[in-house]
Amino acid sequence: MTPHGLAPTGTDPLWFKRAVFYEVLVRSFADSNADGIGDMRGLIERLDYLEWLGVDCLWLPPFFASPLRDGGYDVSSYTDILPEFGSVEDFSLLLEKAHERGIRVIIDMVMNHTSDQHPWFQASRSDPDGPYGDFYVWADSDDAYGDARIIFVDTEVSNWTFDPVRKQYFWHRFFSHQPDLNFDNPAVREAMMEALRFWLDLGVDGFRLDAVPYLYEREGTSCENLPETHEFLKDVRAMVDEGYPDRVLLCEANQWPEDVVEYFGDPETGGDECHMAFHFPVMPRIFMSVRRESRYPISEILERTPTIPHNCQWGIFLRNHDELTLEMVTDEERDYMWAEYAVDPRMKANIGIRRRLAPLLDNDRNQIELFTALLLSLPGSPVLYYGDEIGMGDNIWLGDRDGVRTPMQWTPDRNAGFSGADPGRLTLPVVMDSVYGYQVSNVEAQSRTTSSLLHWTRRMLRLRRENPAFGLGEFIDVGGSNPTVLSFVRQFGDDVVLCVNNLSRFPQPVELDLRRWEGWQPTELTGGVPFPPIGELPYLLSVGNHGFYWFGLTPPGEDTL
Amino acid sequence: MTSSERIAAMLATWMPSQRWFAGKEWPVTGVRVLAHAAAGDEPALDHLVVAVDQDVPGVGPRSTAYQVPVSRHPEPQPRLEHVLIGESDGFYLYDALHDRQVTGLLIERFRAREQSRELTYRVVPDAELPDDGMDSLVLTGEQSNTSLAFGDRALLKAFRRLTPGTNPDIEVHAALAGTDCPYVAPLLGWIEGSWDDPWTGLPTSGSLGMLQQFLVTATDGWKLALTSVADLFAERDLHADEVGGDFAAESFRLGQATASVHGSLREALPTSVWTDSERRVAASAMQQRLGEAVAEVDVLAELAPGLSQAFTDLAELDQPIRVQRVHGDLHLGQVLRTSVNWKLIDFEGEPEKPIAERVRLDTPVRDVAGMLRSFDYVALHSLLAEHADDSQLAYRAGEWAERNRTAFLDGYTHGGDTDPRSEQVLLRAYETDKAVYELVYEARNRPGWIVIPLTALERLAS
Repeated sequence: MTPHGLAPTGTDPLWFKRAVFYEVLVRSFADSNADGIGDMRGLIERLDYLEWLGVDCLWLPPFFASPLRDGGYDVSSYTDILPEFGSVEDFSLLLEKAHERGIRVIIDMVMNHTSDQHPWFQASRSDPDGPYGDFYVWADSDDAYGDARIIFVDTEVSNWTFDPVRKQYFWHRFFSHQPDLNFDNPAVREAMMEALRFWLDLGVDGFRLDAVPYLYEREGTSCENLPETHEFLKDVRAMVDEGYPDRVLLCEANQWPEDVVEYFGDPETGGDECHMAFHFPVMPRIFMSVRRESRYPISEILERTPTIPHNCQWGIFLRNHDELTLEMVTDEERDYMWAEYAVDPRMKANIGIRRRLAPLLDNDRNQIELFTALLLSLPGSPVLYYGDEIGMGDNIWLGDRDGVRTPMQWTPDRNAGFSGADPGRLTLPVVMDSVYGYQVSNVEAQSRTTSSLLHWTRRMLRLRRENPAFGLGEFIDVGGSNPTVLSFVRQFGDDVVLCVNNLSRFPQPVELDLRRWEGWQPTELTGGVPFPPIGELPYLLSVGNHGFYWFGLTPPGEDTL
Repeated sequence: MTSSERIAAMLATWMPSQRWFAGKEWPVTGVRVLAHAAAGDEPALDHLVVAVDQDVPGVGPRSTAYQVPVSRHPEPQPRLEHVLIGESDGFYLYDALHDRQVTGLLIERFRAREQSRELTYRVVPDAELPDDGMDSLVLTGEQSNTSLAFGDRALLKAFRRLTPGTNPDIEVHAALAGTDCPYVAPLLGWIEGSWDDPWTGLPTSGSLGMLQQFLVTATDGWKLALTSVADLFAERDLHADEVGGDFAAESFRLGQATASVHGSLREALPTSVWTDSERRVAASAMQQRLGEAVAEVDVLAELAPGLSQAFTDLAELDQPIRVQRVHGDLHLGQVLRTSVNWKLIDFEGEPEKPIAERVRLDTPVRDVAGMLRSFDYVALHSLLAEHADDSQLAYRAGEWAERNRTAFLDGYTHGGDTDPRSEQVLLRAYETDKAVYELVYEARNRPGWIVIPLTALERLAS
């Protein structure tokens, strides 16, 4: 990755396999005009920080025009941005300034549905025979597609809602203010392509495609993952490949990996649908493994993860703007996770847990480092969540999922340096408690102490960048004598990294069978200290509580670092 | 002296120092080569079956057949120094199972499905054999056999003391290969050998080795359970179901796996129902062991009447008892947790006993009882080793054992068609018999540990 500016277009199509992503909520990151709400220009001012940290790509959750009844996932125009965030020109400037620094930007794209405030829907309900009459899924009764489950069981009773204007029912897989678009209508497909091209032409590096599995409806099916949906995704991919090389499609399908793998498309072609997809179950398994002090929850899910086409990559994360999702765990595991990580009922949301990483781990630095090291070394491109690099806390007293969306903590000054507005005017209050409050936990303080979590994270990102095996390499579980220690090798050509993770709160010894690398020399990566060469007999290590090692392995006869 | 006589002479001094050699205390009067198959050259592999003649004081002479593969090098091999057998005719002889330069020949023989007068290599249909050139490594910690891992692909268990007939471990795995049982390590092949019986001189044959898939990410259940107990003890004031390292879900899955393996064994191998007299014979054998134990360990005397009742109840149990092939010696050290599930290993039975006894049909409750005892052991083992006089932790240990015993039984019920708790008489009898055996063992070897079986026996007697 070049430190200054991006490589010429078309020369680095697999950049996303090596990249570290950083999810940043524009609203909560930096406010440039003192209105209490973060904006594009505020984000631009903080790009130097993100470059210093070493992230490769920003992911911006929805910032399109929206009545904001679902955090912006209810889009009312596909080509305008929320006025409080700035203008399309401001966004263009963000892309330019980010690209100058070698940072890419992907944005959220909600294709399945719009807000009921979208002009398309307003036209559709008032003029059934007009050009938008067939843009949504309308019916005279609410009994079709009865096999489709209701996703938001907390708030919705049916996937159909009666519209008093058109006097028909419309179909919605999510909230009743989010009607599903009718992808059977070629005009809808074309309109969506046009929206994608609008942003691609501006220079975005890709899209996180939200709620992909639900685009089409067919009677007698669950209305999820239908062949027609895959057909449409192939068309989108073909359009991107044709006109916009190096751009990436990241699929959000909260399903088991064996189902998600379909969204990569045909393995023969190396993948002809999405370039990336989130691997949902790996995250709760990391939490499970550490609580249980057993490597099996992680080993098991990786063992069960199918191979993906060679030009594709998983996206993995510890936390994001949603709750810690527990859909992809068994009932037993969910009860357990709730009991362990959501001590207060307010910490639960839907079927997840709404907490940030640091409070989930009781602010235990060892554990935060272990979790981050796992995120950076397991197969897939890691997605960091803004603020977790300084161990930000959450505010469980805020409604819905806002508790994990509070303003970024830059300084110990007023509003945490996020905004010059009156404190009462902030989009959300800054965290002020005695453990995680902005006076204690902020970028300014942590950049001044090299032992801080922030500096540590930065060093780890650098090590990841220096070792392509993390992004591109094969994953080999090396087992070992001690079930509380998860050990694996990432191997890409001659770049071989051995990762040893002690999931236990006690120091542990482990013997590893490393015969495959007999005669090789391990060098611990953070300090560059050579360890004894690997022999025929099991390799003995001891690892501190919640400790981990990353070793670079050098073949015999070659110099170490 | 012929070459093989010279080798035999060297083996006579080398073998008694090997871990797998039985009866080290009795003088060796001779070693005779019973069978010899040669392979390779420089280094060469001499696959030997030898008879070791010993004089057992008060009993008389006895002869035992052993498998001893020997590698022959023209130059000394410093890395094999620890398994040097000796020097003969200008060659250096080593224990071939430790010699990576010749162990590959064994895999080549499997590939070729070689059949000679002395050796037959059998391969299970569709078995994925290790690649040529995969290095082998002898695993440590084995008592009576020698096991080699070939890369991360296969495990070869070479039997050292040979008995005529098919080894029960091979027999069971071969039978289960036809049932798609996911809870055992798939069998890849095995080696049959022919030799002259060391006693009668008559031609005889039996199993020399067994090749299985290597469970590379596995650890044994004992270690896994110890971790859970250590986690519990570190908390002190939390209950077993409250600590992060709770093991109950694993115990449940282990119960499921055990029940499933029992089902597969019923499907693939003979089953029967005990006659009245067979049941009484089993019960009276247990009574007899109790009697011997009482004579040896004083503290047992006051519990004896209660314990004896368990066996009387079994003798008088008026219901059919289904019997089948079982594991026979199931405990947490005989199960491996892999990334995907539990595997039961080592269906060999007690190698000291004749094969007929090792394959005798028994009730699956024997295995269930063995595992229940193991949960008790692992909980109290940590307690005694590190926190002997801590009553708080003793209470926690009891909770842990109870919680995991229950989870195992729930899992067993869920994974099969019977709840062992509905067979109270059988379960109590087998648990009692096992604990009586443990008591005698501890009294002889580790008197400080006697409290483990004793606690259980106090419960079982009441």
